[in-house]
Amino acid sequence: MNLNEILSQEGLVTQTPNVDEVVRRASGVQRPLKVFYGETYDSHGNTIDSMKYYFVVANIGRALKDFGFEVDPVVLVADVAACRNVDRKLERHYLALGEERADFVQKTSDVYGLSLRVLKMSDYLHTDEFQAELKRVSEICMADNQLMKMVERSVPESKIEIERKKKFAYSFDEITTIMDLDIKVGPPREDLYDGIARNIAEREGKNPLMSVFLNPTFPLGKDWAYFFAHEGIEGHGITAYKAGSKGLHKHRILVGRTTCEEARSLINSSFISINPELPNPVLDVAVISEMATKRLNNDDSPSSLYREFYTGKISQAELKERVAEELNKNILSKF
Amino acid sequence: MSEQEPNQKYREMSEVDYRLKCDLRVKEQKYYLGKIQDSGLKPMERFLAYCPNPSLNMKRGVTFAHMDLEGIAGAISEGKPWAVVSGLNPSGPLHFGHKVIFDELLWMQQQGADVFIPLTNDESYVVGKSKSLAESRRIAYDDVIPSIIAMGFDSNKTKIFVDSDYADIYNVAMDLSKYVTLNKVFKVFGLDKEDDEIDRNPGTLFYRAAVQVAQILLPQYPEFGGPKPTIVPVGIDQHPYILLARDMAEKKGFIPPSELVMKFLFGMDGKGKMSASRPGSAVFLTDSPEKAEKTIKASYTGGVTLRDFQIAHGGIPEICPVGCLREWHFENDRHVSERCSSGKLLCGDDKRETIEMVKNYLRDHQEKREEARKRIDKFILKTPIRSIFEE
Repeated sequence: MNLNEILSQEGLVTQTPNVDEVVRRASGVQRPLKVFYGETYDSHGNTIDSMKYYFVVANIGRALKDFGFEVDPVVLVADVAACRNVDRKLERHYLALGEERADFVQKTSDVYGLSLRVLKMSDYLHTDEFQAELKRVSEICMADNQLMKMVERSVPESKIEIERKKKFAYSFDEITTIMDLDIKVGPPREDLYDGIARNIAEREGKNPLMSVFLNPTFPLGKDWAYFFAHEGIEGHGITAYKAGSKGLHKHRILVGRTTCEEARSLINSSFISINPELPNPVLDVAVISEMATKRLNNDDSPSSLYREFYTGKISQAELKERVAEELNKNILSKF
Repeated sequence: MSEQEPNQKYREMSEVDYRLKCDLRVKEQKYYLGKIQDSGLKPMERFLAYCPNPSLNMKRGVTFAHMDLEGIAGAISEGKPWAVVSGLNPSGPLHFGHKVIFDELLWMQQQGADVFIPLTNDESYVVGKSKSLAESRRIAYDDVIPSIIAMGFDSNKTKIFVDSDYADIYNVAMDLSKYVTLNKVFKVFGLDKEDDEIDRNPGTLFYRAAVQVAQILLPQYPEFGGPKPTIVPVGIDQHPYILLARDMAEKKGFIPPSELVMKFLFGMDGKGKMSASRPGSAVFLTDSPEKAEKTIKASYTGGVTLRDFQIAHGGIPEICPVGCLREWHFENDRHVSERCSSGKLLCGDDKRETIEMVKNYLRDHQEKREEARKRIDKFILKTPIRSIFEE
């Protein structure tokens, strides 16, 4: 799969830089190109939806290597960030969960040959270098009304007061972390952070990061009435990497926890529609399972699932059957 | 006079007529859009996108807005109890304008709803639509109820009551009346204390504030299983009742009722909605097929005088009583509108085809009506409401 095919995959990627832009950047930097995905987690387990991002980071990395560029594909486990909003007594537990998540990323990388570098936030957050950069970035933002408005917008409304009291520490850690990246893969919501990082980089005459946004994640085992009642879900979905997002951990496939039977039941009871404008949680899992299958089979061809489904070549029942089988064989049984 | 002159005259008339009807269509669309915005309602597009089997009225755009349909959708998908309430004034027999609403109720019953149909003969009397309670009661049992039953409702899930015969509704009204203030009633209905109507007939206030709301909230009383999602399909003019009922439901600990708003079927005279009070505007379900034919033949249409002009420009099906009568009751899709607006279906042909459909329907319906008379008792609500007397 070449870079163009990866970045234009229907049903997977929603926004990307164009290939020429990426190649120009890769040719211009004097170090390995940084391709990055960062995530937090919760206590409910590791979601299959995170794997979507791992696969895409790895696929972009491989395609750029095929172009002849050096690449550093990184998955960050933001353990310190995950601890920020939990009770102090739970901090140790959450840091341990961070280790577990990092192990999960590493195992995924090993099983599917993704060659990812796994990094934890706690590995670098307290270094002098990062702290100095954090101070610099915070000062730039606080001195500029427009940037501070963007920082405020990056915080969910329900958490704005808490974050104000904490002087937006979460946001500044995030922005500082992504400042010198080349390609950042994430959900569309992260444009709020990416935009700030780009804005600062442009002011300083540096290369702004390029964002690759993947399709939002949707809960499984929910029918049409759930999606009808949740206005706006089409655009933002639920948080891919947090199993307990919106209290829906029972409606997620948790690698290492969800059994094959449970996964099949979730898939069979999921909303599915032939309207491509509507959420399609089944197709999303199908795409992830297919990426896993292709990796295991050393098959580098692009996916045709989206087209086959929406042109009616695969029926809803066939898609559900196919995804349940591939998921079991090539993901759940490996963990 | 040259041969072309009359043709020119008809062309000019057709052009003027066409422009007027185009304007009317825009006005119509703006009216309903404005109502959605002004009343805090939501359009149906989202429901249509997600619901696997929406009603034909929803697909046709006849049911055009809602409030809180989300709770009803949840009840449908989870198979939980829910109810729909929609009634009418029994001041005359049912016409096709009424049938639109009953079609929607039937769809809801098929989705699991318990259907409550209050026949407000007390209102007919209070507001002067009927000469006496006895007359409106007779119309309810002789004309209205048989027609409703003949439409195919399931007696196990349908509860019809004539207000004056179901005195418990007044106890429910009394129970609810403590949750409403006079100021609230004036505000919701946009009334003025100096209003002539209030001065002339203050009884309408109790009716609007308590009896109407009692009908809407009745399904949530313990006798019917307690609080449950309830929906009321209405014309947009009924919106204030829903607002009042929602307010009172919250105070009573019930679930605020949802609302489904439907467009009015055009009167055949082209002068507003189909109404029993305007002779020539309605095709009644009790009309003989010959009378219905006469009414439709004389109907206003969305077309113009000159045949060639209509072939070239098409008709305006959105404001055509014949087109709407046909499409809202006898078609599964919009192909009639499409044929009309593309100039492929002319008014004469449309009327002829519609007349046949209406006549066939009336023959069948009237046969079923006679049979339905024998089953009226199975549909009549008799459940006493005792819970309000518990200490």
